[in-house]
Formats: sequence, structure tokens, C-alpha cells
Amino acid sequence: MRRGDGELILFWLLPALGVTWIAACWMFPGFNPPMSPRMPAEDVAAFYRDPHNAVLTKISMVLFNWFCVGMIPFLALIITQIHRMAHHTPIWAFAFIGCMAGGPTLLFTADLFWLVAAFRPERDAALTQMYNDIAWVTFSAQAGFLVAQCIFLAIAIYLDRQPKPVFKTWVAHFNLVVAAALVPATFSAVSLTGPIAWDGIASFWVKNGALITWLIVMTVVLGTTLYAQRREEAWVR
Amino acid sequence: MSNALVEAQPLPAPLSERIAWQLRHNRKLDLWIAWYTMVVFYTLFGVVFVLMTEVMPPPGPDWSTERIVRWFSDTRGGLLNGFAIIFAVTGMAAMCNAIISYSMWRMSVSKAFSYAYLIIYSLAAIPGMLFCAILLTVGALRPERDPKLLVWLYEAAFLTFVGTMGIFLVGTLVWMIAILIDKNRVLPAWFGFLNICNLLTEVVVAPAWTARRGAFSWNGSVAFWIDTIVFVVYTCAFIWVLRRMVERETFSAGAAP
Repeated sequence: MRRGDGELILFWLLPALGVTWIAACWMFPGFNPPMSPRMPAEDVAAFYRDPHNAVLTKISMVLFNWFCVGMIPFLALIITQIHRMAHHTPIWAFAFIGCMAGGPTLLFTADLFWLVAAFRPERDAALTQMYNDIAWVTFSAQAGFLVAQCIFLAIAIYLDRQPKPVFKTWVAHFNLVVAAALVPATFSAVSLTGPIAWDGIASFWVKNGALITWLIVMTVVLGTTLYAQRREEAWVR
Repeated sequence: MSNALVEAQPLPAPLSERIAWQLRHNRKLDLWIAWYTMVVFYTLFGVVFVLMTEVMPPPGPDWSTERIVRWFSDTRGGLLNGFAIIFAVTGMAAMCNAIISYSMWRMSVSKAFSYAYLIIYSLAAIPGMLFCAILLTVGALRPERDPKLLVWLYEAAFLTFVGTMGIFLVGTLVWMIAILIDKNRVLPAWFGFLNICNLLTEVVVAPAWTARRGAFSWNGSVAFWIDTIVFVVYTCAFIWVLRRMVERETFSAGAAP
């Protein structure tokens, strides 16, 4: 088996990752529609005390946990491509690895607090509301590593000065647009109402839409690159 | 410095043209981007943690519940806006870790040092900064929350912020060993020894987990002030020595010039 075969196995795990993400988002009742940050503590507690919601929250958050960790092999495949770029130092790969460690860790911190809220819903409503707040603030506002990894990848592509760059320049432009779409969510705790609030258009719909678009586009870009690389290696051999 | 790095400097020209020239021709562009990102990140960190959120110096662990509730109300705007800025720029910390890891990559030591530092410090941002910011944000989000829960958020935030030791202790130790055994003279030996001061402060903050007042409490003269003064001196020192490293970099193997 060639080295590239292993990369293709990891690559073809991506559809499973996508299904996990979609299933988690689809099933979590707190996303459909997104829970309002203005909900009183009793309403938040009632949400988790509803047996239907409690079961779906647990199942969806277990799936979401798988997704968080599942992102790491995907991001590692991008790092292997950054290593192929014509840079003088491994700085961009290092910076991307830093984001790869931090981003998923924060996502499953949010996941943990949603699960804690659902685990014992009969507890004091104020406590359930606090767990729910921690989960939502962590999920919505902790987009910093995602923003940075898009920017680092974009700069790495711009600085890949070789006759045949690893990724085309539009991929860098695309990553900058995604980074810009993610930034407003980092301010989601500033307001409980409006587009910036965690259930608002900017912090919820635009941010998660950008993340899904990024996953789809980067999957296609990565797949195209991996297969092209494979053909070139076969031809050289 | 090799000729390839200094030749063909542009003639005096407008700033925009000089920047464009640097973007196209400077072989150290990635290192300079990393270095300037580090400077911007630590500046923002200082502005947010000292001026906006008033988390440094921290309020006391022996404060009454009423005083903690009032603190959340009084600093609400600063906490929410300041930490939102930190959430937005969190990823810049990855760039700081990248350039420090690169310094070890450039040394005559095993690549294990680079990787160890990179992962230790990549995760360090979470207990050392982000958990504190998240918990205080949640506290400031609803000042009307049950006071008992506000006290819990307050304590958990400051204990993780001041009392997180292991990652900084081991991370500093890894960098120190690398500098002291390096034969390529990438960073000066005096800075290697300065690392000892930083890692010792990570040991003396340990009593903050038990002391509720006095020198060893989380806002005490030992656990906070000595620790912070050493951290500031250490941070200024590594920003300076890393700048020297970038200036001296020739991308050739072996000892730095």
C-alpha cells in the first residue's frame, strides 16, 4: 500500500463526518430553532425536562462529540498539503496544528455542557440555565481558532510561490471570506437580542452556514488535490 | 546575512510600494508575519485583561457574595466586549506558538522539542485564558443570576486563570532545555536561564488553590504579582530575542550567524 492510499482512506471518512455533523444539527432540538438567550431559567429547565428533547439532546450531542474529534484527521490532511507548499519555514503548518488542537477541544467543551444539562434535568433551573449558557457561549463565541485556521491557510496559499501551487488562489480568497463570516459570532455574548445574539442571523445561521460550506468546499478541493497528486506520483514512477 | 536576503532593496518609494515589494520579495515574510502577530496579540491581551475587563490585577478570593455580584454588574460591559475581542483573536496565539516552535526547529535539538512545545502551548490557551474568559462572560451575561452561581463562576474563572500551572511549567521547561543544549546559537543562553524564573513562578502559584487571603492567594503578592512581573519581563524578553532570531535567520543549516 502506498502512502497516498492511507490519505485516501482518511479522505473517504469525510462523508461519514459530514453525515455525523448534519445528523447532530438536525436532531438537536436546541438548534431547531436555535434556543433564545432570552429564555427564562424555568423555560430552559423545561426544555431539558421534556423527555423527547432530553433523548434527542443526548443522541445528537454524542454524535456531535464524534464530529468534533472527527475533524482532526480532516484538518491533518490539510496540514500534509501545507507541508507540500513552497515555504521557507514550517510556520504555517505549526500555526494550523495549533488551531487543530484548540478548535475541536472547545467544540466538545460546549458539547459536554449540553450533555451535563440534559443528564439531570430535574436539578435547580438556575443551574441548568448556567450549563446551557456555558454551552452556547462556548459553541457560538469560540470561533477564534476556526477564523485563524482559515486565515493561516489563505496566507499559506498566497505564499506558495511555485510554478504549480498546491491549491489555486481562489481557495485562499474563499478561506478569507469564510473567516470574515465567522468573526461576528465571536461577539455573540455581547447582546441577547439581534443578529449578533447566539440565536441571531450572524452568530448562528451565517456562522454555521459558513462552516458547512467550508467543510464541503474544502472536501472537494482536498479530494481533487489528493487524486491529482496520486496521478502525478504514478506518472513519475 | 546572506546576499539573497538583502539584495535588491527597493529605492526610496511610497509606503504602499515598499509594502508591496516586501510582500513579493521578502523571504522572511512568514517569520515577520508571525512576529508582528505575536506583538499585536500580546498588546491586545494586555489591553483587554488589564484595562477593559479589570481581570488583571484580579479581585480577591475573600470577597463577599454581595461584592462579587456588584463586581459583575460594574464590569459587565468591559467583560463582555473585552472577552469578545479575545475570542475573535484567540487564533493569533497559535501564531505565537508557531514562531517559538520554529525557534526549536531551527536548533540542533530533536524535533520532539518543537512538537512538544507546540501542542502544550496550543492547549494552554484554553485553561490559561479561554475558560476564564468564557466563565466570566457567562457571569456578566446575566448579573441577575443566582448569587451562589455567580460566586461559582467567579472562583472557577480566577482559579483556572491564575492556578493553571502544568502546561506553562512543562512548556517553559521544554523551551529552556532546547535553548541550553542547542549548538546553533539560535537564542542566547541568558534567555535560556530566564526561562527558569518563569517556570519557578508556575510552582509558587500552586498555593493559590488553598489560600483564600494573603501573599499566596490568587491576587496575592506571590501568586499574582511576582508571577505577573516575571511573566511580563519574560514575554518582553522573548519577543525581543525572537526578533533578533528573525533578523539573523539565513535559512542555511547549522549555526545562526
